[in-house]
Amino acid sequence: MTAVTRPVVAPPEPWDFPEGSAHDLPNGLRLLTYDVPGQYVVSVRLGLPVSLRDEPREREGVASIMSRTLDEGTAEHTAEEFARLLERKGVSFGAGMADAGLSLDLDVVKGNLEPALDLLRQILTEPVFPQTEVARQVRTRLAEIEQERSVAAHRAGLEFVRTFYAAEDRSSRPTGGTRETVSSITREDVVAFHAEHVVAAGGTLVVAGDLAGLDVPTIVEAALGGWSRGPRERERYLQHAAALAPDRGRIVLVSRPGSVQTEFVVGAPGPDRSVEGGWAPYPVLGFVLGGSPNARIDAVLREEKGYTYGIRSSFRPRRRGGVFLTSGSVRADSTAESLRLLVEILESGRNGFSDKEIRSGVDFISKTAPGRYATADTIADEAVGMALDGRTTAFTTANLRDLATVDRSRVEAAYARFADEAGIGAGAPGAGWTIVIVGDASAQLEAVEDLGLGDVTVVTDA
Amino acid sequence: MTAISYPLAEHTLANGLRVIVSEDHTVPNVAVNLWVGVGSRHETQGRTGFAHLFEHLMFQGSRNVASGEHFSALMDEGARLNATTWFDRTNYFETVPTGALELALWLEADRHGHLLDAVTQENLDNQRDVVKEEKRQRYDNVPYGSALIDIYATVFPEGHPYHHPTIGSMEDLDAATLEDVHAFFRAHYGPNNTVLTLVGDVTPEEGFAAAETYFGPLPAIELQTRERHPQLPPLSEPVRLDRVGDVPNDRIYVCFRLPVDTTPDYLACQVAVDVLGGLASSRLVRRLVRTDETAVAVGGWTMGLVDGVGLGTITVDVSVGADVEQVEAAVCEEIRRFLDEGPDAAELESVIADTERSWLSALASIEERADHISHHALLTGDPAYVNTFVDRIRAVTADQVRKAGAAWLDPASRAVVRYLADTSKDIDQPDDTASSDKDSEEAA
Repeated sequence: MTAVTRPVVAPPEPWDFPEGSAHDLPNGLRLLTYDVPGQYVVSVRLGLPVSLRDEPREREGVASIMSRTLDEGTAEHTAEEFARLLERKGVSFGAGMADAGLSLDLDVVKGNLEPALDLLRQILTEPVFPQTEVARQVRTRLAEIEQERSVAAHRAGLEFVRTFYAAEDRSSRPTGGTRETVSSITREDVVAFHAEHVVAAGGTLVVAGDLAGLDVPTIVEAALGGWSRGPRERERYLQHAAALAPDRGRIVLVSRPGSVQTEFVVGAPGPDRSVEGGWAPYPVLGFVLGGSPNARIDAVLREEKGYTYGIRSSFRPRRRGGVFLTSGSVRADSTAESLRLLVEILESGRNGFSDKEIRSGVDFISKTAPGRYATADTIADEAVGMALDGRTTAFTTANLRDLATVDRSRVEAAYARFADEAGIGAGAPGAGWTIVIVGDASAQLEAVEDLGLGDVTVVTDA
Repeated sequence: MTAISYPLAEHTLANGLRVIVSEDHTVPNVAVNLWVGVGSRHETQGRTGFAHLFEHLMFQGSRNVASGEHFSALMDEGARLNATTWFDRTNYFETVPTGALELALWLEADRHGHLLDAVTQENLDNQRDVVKEEKRQRYDNVPYGSALIDIYATVFPEGHPYHHPTIGSMEDLDAATLEDVHAFFRAHYGPNNTVLTLVGDVTPEEGFAAAETYFGPLPAIELQTRERHPQLPPLSEPVRLDRVGDVPNDRIYVCFRLPVDTTPDYLACQVAVDVLGGLASSRLVRRLVRTDETAVAVGGWTMGLVDGVGLGTITVDVSVGADVEQVEAAVCEEIRRFLDEGPDAAELESVIADTERSWLSALASIEERADHISHHALLTGDPAYVNTFVDRIRAVTADQVRKAGAAWLDPASRAVVRYLADTSKDIDQPDDTASSDKDSEEAA
């Protein structure tokens, strides 16, 4: 048999994120539409600049309970009736809080968009938050807190924010509240939070899908034009920068006796999209360090050592500031050795990168963009994410253009800027990182301490 | 209602490779999707987990491709790729920019035709370690992580192809040798045991020609096929398995053997399980979550399989303080009531609307569309199933649901797997109105 020659690849054409159309409603709601031919399920996303910092300290979690109870009974329908109404139109609906704001997600087949938006109107403007439903969501959240605590990756995430952010900052505590705060949430708290914050001013509604033959602005005006603007103007995004803990650079070991694996979260403060020198180099950095099976981390920890199924790194920008996170799990008896290698690799950016590595990162991120943003839901998610970040999807396109120009020197400069800001690489190995380990403390503590990467605090869940 | 009519063109190469092309030029990408007709159901005792370990080795190099190069060469061209192994098949896939389609096919053909030139003991040992970490991460170090393994072992009899999970036994993996790798490849990996689906920015003519160029030279293998197992009957009496341990709350899995995938009775059971537990308005949600308040969550799902049986499961997360026996009794009571009454018109309407949206959502991306096409081409012989599935669900009548439910979902033939929180560690457990220090978020 003759060998078949390896084919040469024709480079792809430059690509732009789909163009959207903006339409401002008199009540302050901004509508963004994206016509995506062939996408027969229409994705609707609503982003509201509601801040977790507006929750009363002793009622943290009220925004999440409110968001989960929005469709649990309206002026016209009981919770059970409303669930059936959504399902008979094939509507999938969800709502949730995050640092950037409150998001509502609704997916529906094109032919049912109009009735679906009327159901959204009822969800936003006529929820009654029945006592029994609020109490149920509180109980569900309490069960969820226990679930999260029992999953090592979640548990590590909780400990990371508690260590990384300043104790007085909302970001240091769980988005959905703690057992103590959630237990005390009442119907009145939920009603009050909704009345004050779930208003149209500053909201962004995205409708993406095959919109041919639909007059979306008219349908949306008919459904949501009567939604109250609220008492005051609101920016479309939140501005607050989270305060970091002064002692964030340390190691916390959450004790899990008998764990067969050890979970890691290693993080440091990172940039946001407005960073000097541009945002484009940072996703490349994340990719080269820990974004694929061939990235620096998995090349050693997975493919050479076989310690892990996979560890991933990424820069996560917020509107102001961000975080660089690396997470994954390793075989328990490789804990200290894995951590040593992990920190060594994460700090290896100081010694530079190869042109080939950078080319791979740039190519992967830029050439996958058309496919990553091919469906209605991914387009709508990007658009609402940008809106809550004070941007439009013009940024997505401009960033891809800029990405094409990213080379080794820009990535090395970006790493240096990140490392300098975070205090990484200048002092001892490990300095500048917040390291959370969830694993068997009695078996791992001594070896982790012996690495000399920083002070180790052991935390035990009773 | 939305008419679903994705175009499908099919062609079989002389060596037996079935090629299906579904043209869609909305995005300059092509989804390349290969289903090989081997999964954990083909494994024999003492060799469990091997199909999956083998899948890992497919990324460790082949005749003209270095270890790791499959990933790096494709990712450099903007591909998103991976592979998965399941009971009935092994799946290799990448979504590539149009210009990289031929490279993807060249790389796939090299490993699907000439893997053994590159397999080494070192690669085998390394990937065995990686798979062990995959098992620890997904099954051993997660609450309820082993539930599916327990369900398979409880519902399907010893020796049945679905009795053991795809991840397999680590002792069996330890015993795997290079000779096993060679024998497995020769027995199962060949064009006549494979379906290749291309969805996206490619015409059928271009797709068939490219498939011929890269896969045409691969020889057919001597395929040892066995008949699929005959349909297993429902369990003759309830069986159960309890696990007591470190889980946050009691969880019950109520499971049933079902008919094989895509049969009218399987589809009717799928509707029945949705009406019982699969939707937010389902009967068991209304009863246990809304009315009795003995559960915080209820779920219902079915698993379509081909080798003589399917699986249907209701899951219940039991509320703190609720009696797990009473919850199970209530599940059985609601199932019996449903089997007696059958679904009403609103329930059927909800299932159809939900199925239509979720199916169209699944087909919205070219990669998932390609996966469903490969699935049905390989396992049921009908790739056009992607276009007819919703109509089939729509055609299911209340009477069919009641009859199929009576045959397959009778509580007398249930298997129950329970994960129970170990209460022996809780001394002086306060009643659930008090917030004890023990449950506090603040630690140490």
